[in-house]
Order: sequence, then C-alpha cells, then structure tokens
Amino acid sequence: MTAVEIPVEKWSGAVREVTLGSSYGGGTRTSTVTVGGETSLPFLGFEGALPHRPALAVEVVDMKPADWSPELVATWGDDLSDPANWAARAVEEGADLIALKLRSCHPDFGDRSATEARATVDRVLAAVGVPLIVYGPGTADKDNEVLVAVAEATKGEQLALGLCEEKNYRTIVAAALGNGHLVIAQTPIDVNLAKQLNILISDMRLPLERVLMDPNTGALGYGLEYTYSVMERLRLAALMGDAMTQQPMICTIGEESWRQKEGRAATDVPEAWGELAERGVAWEVTTAMTLLESGADILVLRHPGSVGVLREALDDLTKGA
Amino acid sequence: MALTGLQIYKLLPKTNCKECGFPTCLAFAMKLAQKGTELDKCPYVDDEAKTALDAASAPPIKLVAIGAGERAFEIGNEIVLFRHEKTFYHQPGLVVRVKSDDPQLAEVAARVASYEVERVGMKLRLDGLAVEHAGGDAAAYAAAVAATRAAAPGLPLVLMSGDAAALDAALSGGAAADRPLVHAAAAANWQAMADVAKKHGCPLAIRAEAGDLAGLVDLSENVRGAGIEDLVLDPGTAGLAGDLVAFTQLRRLALKKGARALGFPLFADAGAPTWQAELARATQAIAKYAGVIIIDHLEPAAVYALLTLRQNVYTDPQKPIQVEPKLYEVGSAGPDSPVLITTNFSLTYFSVSGEVEGAGVPAWLLVADSDGQSVLTAWAAGKFDAEKIAKTVKDSGIESRIDHKKLVLPGHVAGLSGEVEEELPGWQIMVGPRDAVDIPNYLKNVWGA
Amino acid sequence: MSRYIATRAIRGANAIVAEAEAMVDDAIAELGPDTPVAFTNTAYFLPVVYAFTGRKIEKLGDLPEVIARAKALLHPVPAESMWLPYLGETLDSGVATLFAEEAIEGVRFARKLEPQIIQLSHAREDGERFTGSDLMVHGDKMKLNGPIDDIQLRAWGIQLVDGRMPGFCAVVGCAKSNEVAVKIVRELQSRGILIFLSGNVNGRSIIHQLQEEGIQLGYDTFTVPFGLDTISAVYALGFAARSALTFGGMEAGQARDIMLYNKYRVFAFVLALGEVDDLKYATAAGAISYGFPVIADTRIPQILPTGVTTYEHVVSMPFEEIPGADDMERTEKLIQRCIEVRGVKVKIAKVPIPVSYGSAFEGERIRKDIMYAEFGGKRSHAFEFLRMKPADEVEDGKITIHGVDLDGMNEGDALPLGMIVDVSGRKMQTDFEPILERQFHYFINGVEGIQHNGQRDIAWTRVSKNTFAKGFRLEHFGKVIHARIHEVFGNIVDKVQVTLTTDAAEVDERIEEARLAYAERNERIANLTDESVDIFYSCLLCQSFAPNHVCVVNPERVGLCGAYNWLDCKASFEINPTGPNQPVPKGIVLDPVNGEFSGPNEYIHAHSNQTVDKVTFYSIMESPMTSCGCFECIMVLVPEANGFMIVSREDPSMTPCGMTFSTLAGTAGGGMQTPGMMGMGKYYLTSKKFIPADGGMKRVVWMSSNLRESMRPALEEVCVREGDPDLLDKIVDETMATTVEELLPLLEAKGHPALTMDPLF
Repeated sequence: MTAVEIPVEKWSGAVREVTLGSSYGGGTRTSTVTVGGETSLPFLGFEGALPHRPALAVEVVDMKPADWSPELVATWGDDLSDPANWAARAVEEGADLIALKLRSCHPDFGDRSATEARATVDRVLAAVGVPLIVYGPGTADKDNEVLVAVAEATKGEQLALGLCEEKNYRTIVAAALGNGHLVIAQTPIDVNLAKQLNILISDMRLPLERVLMDPNTGALGYGLEYTYSVMERLRLAALMGDAMTQQPMICTIGEESWRQKEGRAATDVPEAWGELAERGVAWEVTTAMTLLESGADILVLRHPGSVGVLREALDDLTKGA
Repeated sequence: MALTGLQIYKLLPKTNCKECGFPTCLAFAMKLAQKGTELDKCPYVDDEAKTALDAASAPPIKLVAIGAGERAFEIGNEIVLFRHEKTFYHQPGLVVRVKSDDPQLAEVAARVASYEVERVGMKLRLDGLAVEHAGGDAAAYAAAVAATRAAAPGLPLVLMSGDAAALDAALSGGAAADRPLVHAAAAANWQAMADVAKKHGCPLAIRAEAGDLAGLVDLSENVRGAGIEDLVLDPGTAGLAGDLVAFTQLRRLALKKGARALGFPLFADAGAPTWQAELARATQAIAKYAGVIIIDHLEPAAVYALLTLRQNVYTDPQKPIQVEPKLYEVGSAGPDSPVLITTNFSLTYFSVSGEVEGAGVPAWLLVADSDGQSVLTAWAAGKFDAEKIAKTVKDSGIESRIDHKKLVLPGHVAGLSGEVEEELPGWQIMVGPRDAVDIPNYLKNVWGA
Repeated sequence: MSRYIATRAIRGANAIVAEAEAMVDDAIAELGPDTPVAFTNTAYFLPVVYAFTGRKIEKLGDLPEVIARAKALLHPVPAESMWLPYLGETLDSGVATLFAEEAIEGVRFARKLEPQIIQLSHAREDGERFTGSDLMVHGDKMKLNGPIDDIQLRAWGIQLVDGRMPGFCAVVGCAKSNEVAVKIVRELQSRGILIFLSGNVNGRSIIHQLQEEGIQLGYDTFTVPFGLDTISAVYALGFAARSALTFGGMEAGQARDIMLYNKYRVFAFVLALGEVDDLKYATAAGAISYGFPVIADTRIPQILPTGVTTYEHVVSMPFEEIPGADDMERTEKLIQRCIEVRGVKVKIAKVPIPVSYGSAFEGERIRKDIMYAEFGGKRSHAFEFLRMKPADEVEDGKITIHGVDLDGMNEGDALPLGMIVDVSGRKMQTDFEPILERQFHYFINGVEGIQHNGQRDIAWTRVSKNTFAKGFRLEHFGKVIHARIHEVFGNIVDKVQVTLTTDAAEVDERIEEARLAYAERNERIANLTDESVDIFYSCLLCQSFAPNHVCVVNPERVGLCGAYNWLDCKASFEINPTGPNQPVPKGIVLDPVNGEFSGPNEYIHAHSNQTVDKVTFYSIMESPMTSCGCFECIMVLVPEANGFMIVSREDPSMTPCGMTFSTLAGTAGGGMQTPGMMGMGKYYLTSKKFIPADGGMKRVVWMSSNLRESMRPALEEVCVREGDPDLLDKIVDETMATTVEELLPLLEAKGHPALTMDPLF
C-alpha cells in the first residue's frame, strides 16, 4: 500500500468575519447572518476553518419591476407589487437575507423621496426578521440622499448599505459609521481597485468588520470568467495575509444572470437553449455555483428555484465543516 | 523546478536546423519553457540534455485523447491550479450517460450527437456518450454499444462496465475503432481491465473508493506496469465537498509534488437525481479540474449553461476574448435610433450592450475590430483611431438603415471627434460617456435632447 | 510656545474654572443636585466632557466631578523668570477651560438661561425671515441657537466627513464694522464653510452686526449664532467631539484619538475678531488641542511652528495692516489666509465660463471658417508656463490680463499669447511643474469651441466665433486653469493665479524666461539618476490582467509602457496616496553592477503573489523585470550574434530570434520573468542605464526600422556617448534581415562591436 502525502497549504491570513443584522441596540432582527472567517480556499475543510456557510439573499425591489424576465414575473406573481409581501415570501422560500433595492427613488423611475424610501424600508423590516441589505437607486446624488436617510432611520439594524464606489464612498461610509451599519464596496473586476477602495474606507475609520466587497459580477457567458479569476486572486491574497483583501465577498448573481437574453427570452431562440423556465434558473445556478467555488460569501439571487438548488448544494458543500 | 527558456536553450544543439518547426533553437526553447511543445520534436538533442530536460519539460498531467476522428477530444496537459496563473488548456469532455438497457438509447445518442449551440461565434457541442452496462450479458452490452455507434457515428464513447468480458465484446464488435474510454479498472478487476484496454489500444479509467487516494496510486502503478499509458483517474464520488477536496488534492499532487502516478486527467461523475442538482455538481467539476464529466440529464438549458461555462473558464485570461466585429441591433432599432460605436473586447461589448439594452432605447451598436482590446487600450495602440472608426462605419452599411448621420463615440476617445468628422464628411460626431453605466442617462437625456 | 500666550491661557483657565466651580456650587445649593442638566436634543450629554472622559453628565450633582477634573489640569501661571516650553501646560489649560465652559453652560441650561435670548436693536417686521429651525424672533427679541442638536449634527457631520462641506469656522468676537462682518460671512459661505458665531468685544458681537444688516442666521444658511459670550464657543468644540464619536468610529473616553481625528479630518479653525482677553486665549488653547488653528485679526504673538495643528497654531493678521485697497479686500485676504492655515481644500463645482465644458469637447476641430481668433501656430507665437511660487506671492483665483482681449481683436486675427500660471502648495514640488503644465492641453480642450494643440512654446489655441459670441474672453482661460488645477491636483496645490498677456513685447520678453525654465527642467530630468534618489516607484496598474506583474520605475528607466516616468509616478503618488504608484525604498545595494537592490526585491516579492523574488535593473540575462503586456518594444537575446534585438509593437515582421512581436509578447508578457527577454519603453534606449551590465547599446544588433528612424537624433547621441558614432547604422533592421542567417553576415560586414564582445553566456 502506498502512502500519499496530501499537500496542505499553510495560510497565514483569514477572511474577516462580518455580521449583518442585529437584535439589540436599536436592531430588531430575529436572526443575524455572519459570513467570512475562512482560513482556507472555498470548502477545503481539510486545510483550514470554514466557520460560516455562505448566505443566500433574495433581491426585492420597492416597485414592480417593469423590465424583469417573464419567468420571474410569473414565479413571484402579485408579490412583486408589494416589497413587504415579496420579502416575506422570499424568507419562506429560504432566503437568509433580503436585498432591498430602492429603485423607485431613481429620477427616471419615479424619483420617490428619501422619506418614502424610509417608509418602504420600515415596512420590509416589519415584514421579515432576517437582516437587510439596502441598495440605493444607483445614481450618486440620490443614493447619498436616500441611503443617508434610511441609515438614520434604521440606526442599529446593522444593514448593509450599497453601493459604495470610489466616487461616492464617503457619504455612505459616513452614514454607516454614524448609524451602526455595514457597507458594500464595489469595484470594477480588479484586485487593486478593490484593495484601494477598502483602504479608503478603512481610512475613514469604518472598521473592516463592517465592509463587504462586491468585485462586480459578470454573468455566465457575459464576463463570468473575469469575476471568477479576480475573486480567486482576492481570496488567495487574503489567505496569504493581505489585510486589504480580507473582506467577505458578495455577488449580485440574480441581477446579472436574469438581465441577459438567456434569462429573458421565451421565444425566438434556438431550440438548443431549452425552455426559459429551466434556462433562467440554470443560468442563475451556474453563475452562483461558479462564484461559490471562487470564494463568494453572499449570493444575491432572484428566483426561488435557484435558492432551493443552492441551499441543497451548500448543505452538501459544508457537510462536516 | 521548471527551467527558463534560456537554460533550455543552452542544452539544445543551437544549430537552428528548423526541423522542430521553429525557426530558431531559441524560439523552440522558449516554447518548451512554456510547456507548449515537446522535446521529442528535436531530432538532435543528445541523451545528456534529454535526461536533464525530460524531467523539466514533461507535462505534469498527461495529455489523453478520447475518441477517434473529428470529434475526438483531448484532456490533461494542465499546468496550473488557477486559471489566472496562466490558463487552463484542455476543456473537459461533457459526456451524457445512458444505460445499456434504456429503450431510448439510440434516440438519446442521436440527440447528444446533434446537440449544438453557438456562442460568440463558436459552435459548442457535447463531447460524447457513456454507455453504462445495466443488466444483460456481454453480448447484450456489445449490442447496445453497437446500437449507440450506429445512432451516433463518430461520437466519442465511454464504456462503463465492471465486466471485462462485456467490454471486450463491445470493443471487438467494432467500438475499438472509436478509441473509447474504458471505465473502470478497480482494485478487484484491474488486471482484466488493463488487458482489455491494452488489447484494443484504448485509454483506461481507474477507479478507487472515495477518499482512497493511495488506492488510486496503487492502481495507477499496476495498470501502467501492465503497459497502459493513457489513464484517467476516477477518485469516486463523495458529495460536492468530498469531490472538491479529492480533485484539488489530485491536481496539487500532480502539479506541485510531481506525483507521476497521479499525473492524469480526472473523471467526474456529476450524475444526480435532478437536472438542477446535477448542474451544480457539473459546474463544480468544470471550475475545479475535471477532465471528463458525466451527466445523466439531457436538459438543453442545463447543457447550454455548462457548455457556456466551460467556454468561459477555459479562455486564456491573457488573451482577451473577442466578439465578432459587426453591426449589432439592440432592441428593435429603426431609422431614427442612435448609433454607438465601441470595440470588440468582449467585456467592453457586454457592458455597453447591456447598458444600452437596460436603457430601453433601441439602438445600433457598431463594434469595431480592435483585436479584442478595450477602448482605451485599443486607442493607445492605434487600433481604434479615426480611420478605423470611419472604416467601420462605412463597411457596416449602417448609413442605409438610418435617416440621420449621427455617431456616438465612447467618451474616452473624445479627442478623436474632430478627426472622425474629417474622415466621415456629413456625419455629426457626438461624444458619449466614458463609462458604460452612464449610457442610459446619456441616451435619455442627451441623445433625445 | 509663546510664553505670553501660555501665561494668558493658563491665567484664563484658572479664572474660568474658579468661576465655574462657584456657579456649580451655587446652582446645587439653590436647585438641588438632582436637577437635570441637558443640552438641546442630544444623546451626547456634555459632549466635550463625554468625549474626553466618557462621563455622562445628567444632573447638577454630576458637575463637581467635572470641576475636579478641570482643576487637575490647571497649572500655576508661569513666573516672569521661567522660560520653558509651555505647550503641555497650555493645552492642559485649554482642555480645563472647555470642561469649565461646558459645566457653566450645563448650569445655564439647568437654570433655563440657554439658549440665549438677545435684544435686537429694533423690532423686525419680517420676523419670518429667520426661518432657521430653532431661531425665533419675537418683536425685538431673538432666541439664539445654543448647541447644535443631534439631527443637525448628523446632516452636517456626514457632509463634513464625506467632504461636501470643507470645514467649519468658529468666529469669536466682533468685526471691525458691520460691513466687514457681512463680508466675512459671505466669503466663508461662498466656500461652503459652516460658520458658528459667539463672543463679543465690549458687549458687541458679530451676531449683533449680522442681524443689524439683515443677514439670515440659522441652520439653513449654515451660519449659527451660539451665544453672545466666549463661553458659548465651547459648543463648536462639542460639535467636533460629537462628529468624531458619530462618524469617526470613536468611543467616548478615547480623548487622544478624538483629538487626532479632528486634526486630520475636520477642517475647522477659529477666527478671533477684536481684542483677545484671557478667556479667549484659554478657549483658543482648547481649540488648538483639537488641531484647530487660531487666526486673529489683531496683533498677538504668533505660534508658527507646526505640531499639534497641521500647519501654524496661532496666526496674527492685524486687520489694518493687511494690504488691500479697502476693508473688503482686506477681509478677502484674511479669509484666504484662514483657509491656507487650516489646509481647507477648495472645491469648484463647475468651471465658471459662458460655454459648456467637458471631455466631450476635447477633440473638436476649429476650422478657419468657424474660427474667430487664434494664438500661436503659424501666424503668431504663444507659450504656456507653470511655475511654483511661495504662498505669499500667489493670490488664489487672481487672473490678470495684459494687452488686447478677444473683443479687441478682429475676426480672423492672430495674436501672440503668453499664459503664466503661478501655483503654490505645501506639497507642491518644482519637479511637478511640467506634469501640471502638460495637463493644460486637456484642460483647455475641454472648453466648447476651443481647439488647443502643443505645449510649452509651441502652444496653439483657436477660439470659435460661436464661443466668442457667447462671451468667452481671455480671463476664462484663467478660470478654466484655476478650476481644473484645483480639481485634479488639489492634493498638491493650494493656490493658483494666472496671467495672460497678448502684448507682443511682453510675450517676447517672458517667453525667454519660460525657455530658460524649460531648458533647466530638461537638464534636471537628464541629471536625475538612480544613484541620486533613495526611492523608486511601483506601478501596479496592469495587475488587472497580469496578476503577478510589478513595474518598478527608476529615474533612469521609464515604465515599459512608455507612459510613466519616475517623476510621473512620484506625482501620482502625492496626488493619490493609495493609488497604483507607491514608493519603493531602494534599500541596500546588493549588486551595483547588475543593479540589484533589497527594497525592490522585497516589494516585488510581496506584490507578485510571491512569484518573483529578485529583479536586476541593469541586466536582463538572469532576473529581468517582468513584463505585463503594454510594452512599446521587446528586447530579446540573439545568442548567435552575442547581442540583443529590439522589436517594436508596430513592426509585424519576423525577426532574427525566430519570433514575431506577438509571439514574443506571448512569451515575455503576462507577468512572467523571462531571462534574456524583456518588455521596455522605447526611451529606455536613450538611458545611461540601458542594460549597462550586459554591454548597453553596443549589444543591440537588430532593431525595427520605425524605432530607429523615429528616434534617430536621440539614438545618434547615445552612440556618440558610447564612443561609437557610427554604431546606429551598424544595427540591422527588418528591411535587411528577418532571420539570424541573414543577420550574421551583415553584422560581420558592418563590423558590429557585439561580435567581438565578451560572450553573454
């Protein structure tokens, strides 16, 4: 019998542990989610600790999305018209977190006020006990206005506020600092830009235990391999001890996969593509699984079917860890 | 320790005889250092140099071909653990499994053979069919294999049976000509399996129980001792986590420890009760090191996703992927729709077309051939200059499809607007935003205004 | 530390602490120790006390402890004969003063005397003009604001932290006149600086002055009246302390961290108007402990050395002595000085010109038929010159025009133009002058209807008819330069002034000045050697696609992309300290011949994912620098010729090494270390440190023809320097040989020196 000496990498670094949601000090969550803490590459339990399994978030929009795939519209039905119902249903479907997008505050999509945004966030907080990620409408000025108001109104809830980008991180970081929240730092698929933004954020004295990083997701067939490799590089650097890459990573899987043609087109597509109902989920699951393998800690998804498949996959991947 | 090109050069004859196919010994040496060619190509290398170079230049994971003819595929010859370190070279074969007693076997075989989907100008196909011996004797198995071959001529096969006699029957019945992968030699039957594989000149998979890497090493030593050179390793299945650990350890042992016994491509059985669970398993197998992947469901949506993923993961990270340079229509564009131009670097194209689509404004997107470079890089390299832009516009035939003459340039090349105007008389050159994310705003507020 | 200031501050502190103690004792006796003490709508108690000590003061009975802490910080007034550094004592006294002042305000709140109600000079009918949330006017009475409440703290605090609000100014005392008071406020408001008002001189306060002039006070106008006394200035410091607690991630009690946070993040300063008494000195000492400098408009001793504050501690600018035509101009200069002393960065939101501005206009062509006028080009000459000046010689935003302006010209005219830009900045260096100056091309081209070409004394600018018609004049060039330099180079430049002249004689005279400077700069760059510096710079820009590649740029080797030289990297680091260009200390010289240094080795190892641990700068035979993919040329060994060949990116031909540029790029690129091969910028060829250990230019046996021809004069100079003036034409190119078999006889025939040099390996 031959003895095989298993090569074990000795890593000196660890991913930071980040906790979303709080049930005290102003927080009203009934559950919290902690991610990060890894001291090995994804799911390689034999060479390091994997204290927390990756979390699944479901995306909820504060207005009925006009441009979503018919498959998503059919699946969620009337729940799409009410973010509180939508969020509650998402939790039933297995979401660990809700990612609420305040799209109606966008100047082009309703331009709702910060006050209205606060009311929406309050309703969703009341409807579910899980932690919340809150995304602004995606334009720098309005993001600042809306997220600052939301941050103040939800002091202590330990929300994750997004997106913090190089051009507007200061305001959102300040809002998070002042109100006990987290931020999501997004950079365009690049290791050094991700590091730089983390440095800038930590220079503002937001503890890095309150920062998630979003390396910017490319969907399957639409740049996935770039995200995949950048995430592998970030995670390797983190494990080698580079402090500014040790943030847990969050990926907006659902948004990216469902906006591609593969996630939307029901007709006039090659037969080899299969049916939209299967194809959309297949696209989302494949994108998600691939990025789990490269280090994703939070997946933001859109389809309940994908949540189920990934939940099972994660059960399997974290067995015995 | 890998040798540098210069170190290899010193050991070569330095005659520039060109018989290796390279113009100089230096060029050959540089390619050897990248493990992009083999030392055998040099007829004049002396034994001393050969010994020195062999160790350094032999690929740590053997290249194994499965199948014969046009649809044969090669796996192995990988040199890195992470694609960003260099690239992954040989895509894993995606193989659909059918049972030998499945009444629809021939029909499935034909569907697998004909499945084809196009992406970024490439035709993606399934690679083969695995015929699993289920019930029946050797003759029945041989008949099933023959039926499969008839239904899908030329499609590479994996013959899965624990019965060497059944395999021998199938191979003797003509399947040997297709050079199928024989699966699998295990501790109990390795000798018989090795004999069959050797007799028919087929690659052989060896299979140990999950978690028993030592067993795999023993099997490898045994069957290689029996004269089999082309191996595929099947470490058994142990759930997603167990498989990931096993595949990672095997790849590391081959690459970092130089474990010759384990220097072969890997076999992943991704089969699962539902296509969704199977999709998750096969995704992991593509991302993490598999050479052959078995699936049980011929669900087109899942197959399309997997083939796309494989294409993505196996692109060379240092060579930008290009999209076809041409005129793209986003939404149902008409004569009054805006015309935007960008370069054919895939990420650039994806970002721009995604944002244009997201804006909900139908538009014409002209993609110039920049050798796959992004706008700024192409501009700096002179591959996206006024001349190229003008030529792209003229060659695209866009003029006959619109009733205006306005062209939107990427903001990063605003400096070219004057020159483009000179190259394209009669056109109004507008300057769009620098970043794709600002396109929706531009189309709504500037273009329309 | 000035002994005078120390004496006054310490004396002031002793007095106010004694007064506070008496007030606290009286209040407890009168109202009882359980009487609540609370500032308006705040969760931070008495904020300075809370921030510095962690103590939550909630009732009168808690205040004696505050007094005790203040007393513990008091020092005896220095004796006349003592001559010691007093900084520690003075700062202690400052903090003691702040404690005492908060205690006094606490008592006043307990007695319901705060916020203060003041008597107006006359009843105002338009009372509703005072719309600030807490400000109310009743007939001839006005209620002042008192401390900032928490809601407003959050709104402003975020803006101070995220940089939208550049800083705040605590104005204490009374201005020379109402007019000056208004001007001070307007100057500060126009820069977006938040203003807190307090204090008086002989009973008159700037608050009186402003309300007499009908100036709107309150949160809405960023001008908040705290109180008529000096004591209420403590609210400003309470505000700063709460900002640090709220937005700085600080805990109450972390006194040192909170003070440092304010020094580095909160751009605040004190403007003391009128006579400075002991209490003002003592309070000012408290402000200085936060890192907030004090500027006085009267004659007081200055404390110029830096230390506790970033720049000067105390600056005296006696108002009457400020140069200026009138009080308005003097006020402008006073405020400008305040901004400089605190290092407040000015933001200019929009380039103030009558036409559009943006990168979209960069490529415009102004043809003759739409041109109004031009400067430079064939018909006149023009130059641009940026120089660094001492701070007191630059007046920010000043634009001077000499000679005829655009409206004095006729359509189609050409005139000479000189543009002289003076900048000052505490982080500005002479070496950065050309880097800033090079950007003028982009800055000016951003103007709608302007075409700009060239730089230095070959600048050429055209103005379109349309742009002229919309009101564009010469001064707008100045405004563009001023605004854009602040925007792009704000980290290194504090002040910018621009002189534009179309006066032919003046242009002729000053162009010579500029030419001298250009020549000097060229020389300075030429004299910059690897030996003359201690720091190299890294560039990690290309790691996005070549993850293990680290460029190290030294003075004598440009980045391989040709885009970054050492000075560019240095400036880039100053402008963007967390950006892709970082300093790499040279460290120990490990091998002077091959150019191996400990610093770069360590840096490259750490940043190449530990894949490269040694790089030699002067030889490519063993450990050349890695290459990303952006190189202008690739240099590769031709072993048969005992030399190197250099192929440029533009040259698609086969080369004597048996590989084309693109094959070579695939071999050398991607961040791999490939001995015998290296990507390089073409100007590296002209460097004295062009592979000196391998033999330098004499080793070059083959070179792409476009490279040789485009750089011929510079390369000929190199050959002369190398002692072989005919060397350049001994080098073969692709028109003569594309294989090594063709190459060797040519080299023999030309007598190329490489053939007889020592073997390369």
